[in-house]
Amino acid sequence: MNARSLARMASVLLLTLAVATPVLGQATELGRQTLGRPYWHFFAAYAIVVVMLAGWIVSIGRRLKVVERRLPELDG
Amino acid sequence: MNAYLRQVYAVVRKDLLQELRTRQRVATMGAFAVLVAVLFNYAVDPTIVRIQNIAAGLLWMTLIFAGIMGVGRTFALEAEDGAFQGVLLAPIPRDAIYLGKVISNTVLVTVVVALTVGVFGLFFQLQYGTHPVALALTLFLGVVGFVALATLFGAVTAGTTLGEALLPVLLFPLLVPLVVYGVGATGRLLQNRPLAEVEGNIRILGAFAVACIAIGAVLFRHVVED
Amino acid sequence: MASAVALLGASLLMVLLWMVFFWVPTEAVQGVIQRIFYVHVPAAWVSFMAFGIVALCGVMYLWLKDDRFDRLAVSAAEGGMVFTTIVLLTGPLWGKIAWGTYWTWEPRLTLTLLLWFIYLGYFMVRNATENPERGKRFAAVVGIVGALDIPLIHVSVLWFRSLHPQPVVLNAEGPALDADMGITIGMGVLAFTVFFFGVMMLRYQLECARARAELLEAR
Repeated sequence: MNARSLARMASVLLLTLAVATPVLGQATELGRQTLGRPYWHFFAAYAIVVVMLAGWIVSIGRRLKVVERRLPELDG
Repeated sequence: MNAYLRQVYAVVRKDLLQELRTRQRVATMGAFAVLVAVLFNYAVDPTIVRIQNIAAGLLWMTLIFAGIMGVGRTFALEAEDGAFQGVLLAPIPRDAIYLGKVISNTVLVTVVVALTVGVFGLFFQLQYGTHPVALALTLFLGVVGFVALATLFGAVTAGTTLGEALLPVLLFPLLVPLVVYGVGATGRLLQNRPLAEVEGNIRILGAFAVACIAIGAVLFRHVVED
Repeated sequence: MASAVALLGASLLMVLLWMVFFWVPTEAVQGVIQRIFYVHVPAAWVSFMAFGIVALCGVMYLWLKDDRFDRLAVSAAEGGMVFTTIVLLTGPLWGKIAWGTYWTWEPRLTLTLLLWFIYLGYFMVRNATENPERGKRFAAVVGIVGALDIPLIHVSVLWFRSLHPQPVVLNAEGPALDADMGITIGMGVLAFTVFFFGVMMLRYQLECARARAELLEAR
């Protein structure tokens, strides 16, 4: 995994967090009670899931591209 | 079967003779165990906790760390000059080599654990409880289980470029049952709790040891093959 | 084929997201945070299933010495690492709200942490040998021993837990599952499983392409 794909993943994460920010205000002090609306944790969890799964596919695609670029060279 | 046992014995004898002549592994493990006990003395503030209350955990940590040092070196000496190739070329089944190594390592680690228990008694006035035999059995079965896994993965890490540094990473997650049941039984025995409370733990430790030896004996040939 | 399955898995995930965000009723006691359940549990299921595949393929590889089993094993292991990481990151986020703390020695969470480290060892061993064939054998051994030890680790951490009452405010499970929630969690398990198998097959193709490149390079 190179720096660029990491940066891309980070930007996706940041974007998701930015979308989640408006609800952050309501989430203050909610860690202390169980009946509240802990949106922050909820959105963070789903952002992690999306980023991890997309990151896995993207990383496989990139590695596949590297190998496929090499294959015709070797064949020829 | 008799021939098989003789082959195992040959490996045990070779390893123990080697150790008797160099005394490298027992010396490093023993010194480590004693010095760790000295450090533990200063690591535990007696105005906060009594060291006797956490002695079981300290004992098991010493067992594992010292054991990792010693067992990790099992294949190090033979890796020099390609001596291990000679062992592999001998007309002995691979599982006999593994069993021999497990037995010789068990002897070495048991000696070190006995030393550690003695040192703990001396340094921390540790009382061994009313069931010293059960305590010894608990520690011994723990040593066997530990050595069975550590010998297998010692052979694995000896074949990697990272060497012994990789051993804890592979070993520690797998040792959790050993620590849970071992420390549980040891702690209770040291506190004079009734034997019935630790019987189940000791059985599980025994089963764990047997299972680890069986797995190791089956898989060892795939580790050293080449 | 592989990309079709992966695509199906991805679309099922989209349906799951829609169900979780807009359809499923909010749990009465825990509130919104309980919705982490619909990804946390399926991810855990896939993590352990993946390790089963790793171990089975490890056995087959050691037995038949067929490289394809090793490729399957490493593909499953990589997916397992991804999903285990998801479990380990979403679990504490849920736990912070439900239990009041990011980390407790909750047996299943502990087991997942150890599984993550076993996966880590699997990859470290694989990448630390000069001879790739040896790395494959070592990795198979790590996978097999890990899979055999996992049930025992589970039993032992459960036993340990029974000694130490935890400051659990709520049962993680919540009350008995509502029908709509049952459908959603079923959808979650289905989506995660299909997605895992699809991407695992893509990963397998990558490994095959690599093997071919190495073969050509050696020529």
